[in-house]
Amino acid sequence: MAPNVTEILFALGLGGQVVGATRFCDFPPEARSVKRIGGLVDPNIEVIRSLDPDLVIAFRGNPLRLVDRIGKLGLPVFVLDIGEGLEALFPLIAKIGRVTRSDDRAEALAAGLRRRLEAVDGVMAGAVTRPRVFVLLYGQGLWTCGGESYVDDLIGRAGGVNVAAALPKKWALYKRERIIEDDPDVIFILARSAADFAAGRKWLTQRAGVGGVAALRSGRVYELDEDSASRFGPRLLDVLDRMAGLLHPERFGGRP
Amino acid sequence: MNRRAGRRLFWAACLILALAGFFLSILSGPVKTTPGDLLRFVRDPGRVEAAIFIDLRLSRAVLAFLVGAALALAGAILQGYFRNPMADPFVVGVSSGASLGAVLAASLGFEAAAFGFSGPGLLAFASGLGIVSLVYVLSLRRGGFKVETVLLTGIAAGALASALTSFFLFMRSDSYDQAVFWLLGSFQLAEWGQVASVGPWFAVCLAAALWLARDMDLLALGDEAAQALGCPVGRVRKAFLGMSALLAALSVAVSGVIGFVGLVVPHWVRILIGPAHRPLFAASALAGGTFLLYCDLIARNLLAAELPIGVITAAVGAPFFLYLLHKKR
Repeated sequence: MAPNVTEILFALGLGGQVVGATRFCDFPPEARSVKRIGGLVDPNIEVIRSLDPDLVIAFRGNPLRLVDRIGKLGLPVFVLDIGEGLEALFPLIAKIGRVTRSDDRAEALAAGLRRRLEAVDGVMAGAVTRPRVFVLLYGQGLWTCGGESYVDDLIGRAGGVNVAAALPKKWALYKRERIIEDDPDVIFILARSAADFAAGRKWLTQRAGVGGVAALRSGRVYELDEDSASRFGPRLLDVLDRMAGLLHPERFGGRP
Repeated sequence: MNRRAGRRLFWAACLILALAGFFLSILSGPVKTTPGDLLRFVRDPGRVEAAIFIDLRLSRAVLAFLVGAALALAGAILQGYFRNPMADPFVVGVSSGASLGAVLAASLGFEAAAFGFSGPGLLAFASGLGIVSLVYVLSLRRGGFKVETVLLTGIAAGALASALTSFFLFMRSDSYDQAVFWLLGSFQLAEWGQVASVGPWFAVCLAAALWLARDMDLLALGDEAAQALGCPVGRVRKAFLGMSALLAALSVAVSGVIGFVGLVVPHWVRILIGPAHRPLFAASALAGGTFLLYCDLIARNLLAAELPIGVITAAVGAPFFLYLLHKKR
């Protein structure tokens, strides 16, 4: 009942056994043809029951009361939480592997991701300069990721410092004057499309009143794929690679 | 058409509408089903169909009917009690108090369960009764029992309770679905356990209300006149206030705050069958249940995603209410 779980199931080669997914479950593309059961906060119990699944996997974001109700219908429900930091991805994959009896494939997937993570960690070891980073979730005002968010962990591993790390939340609305004071060197905009990204950058420069910060003056404003970054799944490693390359081009052979 | 025939017509129409409503509720939903499917299910019950028809749809319809009946009965009682057509469970502060308790329980992670209620349900009930008792005591202290004082105290206490509710919801900003549920109501999670917890209490309250209906008629003449005619005013008032609080808190505990039913339905009924309280109580319960049953049908079938039922009750109830009000004048 969450896009990242669907993604992990497909990555484990279990796509053929997924009988229902939320309307946000659009990756990999084959997941689009799976029967829709509603959204993350409004999955439809009746539709789920009609699919008669052997297992329902719930994730953080699915209303707990609704998850309980599904359990009361006699369906086996497995509930997963997001945990803190990128490290939590590994137990998550292992757990999904265990409940779907595909431990081996889960281990292989985790090992591959682990290698990529260690590769980035290795390159970043001993990094001296750590650019200050602001992440914008474009849409309604200055939404950003706080210190409890796994995106904060991503920034740290990619060799940056999240300016909003002091916020004790996962996602939070940031104050304009704080950004001006923090003066981030790099801004990442989480956007669904190039047009969204352009709109977000334009909004930051012209409307938000923060046009004077270092990142906007130097032009170090980059796009991150919102879907990859906002889903706690394997594609976070893609995001990490991209972030690290953009923050420290010198260590990655100059390619962006 | 004389009054008696009119009443018969009203009862017949309500019963037919209610039955049709139950039938429609069982047949409609996001999973397409036809009367043929239902017939096949009755002959040869399958596991999945049983879950959809009985466990999900029928339990939901029954719960919606019960809550609608309870809210309308509570409204009818309060309107008689305060001799004021503006009264309903919200005005007295019960609904707001109950939702405060529920949200508080959810925020604190209060998980105890008893009598078929969840932790939030239990606390909703307790704080709903608490706030109405507070209103009652406060209004008694200021020299005798005055209807205006009760109404105003209720409004103030209710406003305070809803402010606190919003505060706690805001503090838990990660639970949007909870906020919608407690502020606008929903039957999405209806189950037989909730029906079993509301049903018996509702039956007791309905029976008691019908039994005391004559005394309520006397109260309409004014407290002194009622006392002079042999009505134990103090005790009757306490009983009715307790009943209405119980009914409203029960409803809030299982389905969140649903507005407009308690205010509007007794009005419709009074316009259609007259002000005598015994038929008024019974008819309000039936009409309220039917009304909410149809509102829930709309709430879950209008759009792909479910609408909060409070949106529907207000949208359907308000215009019809205005129409009747002006037609009467």
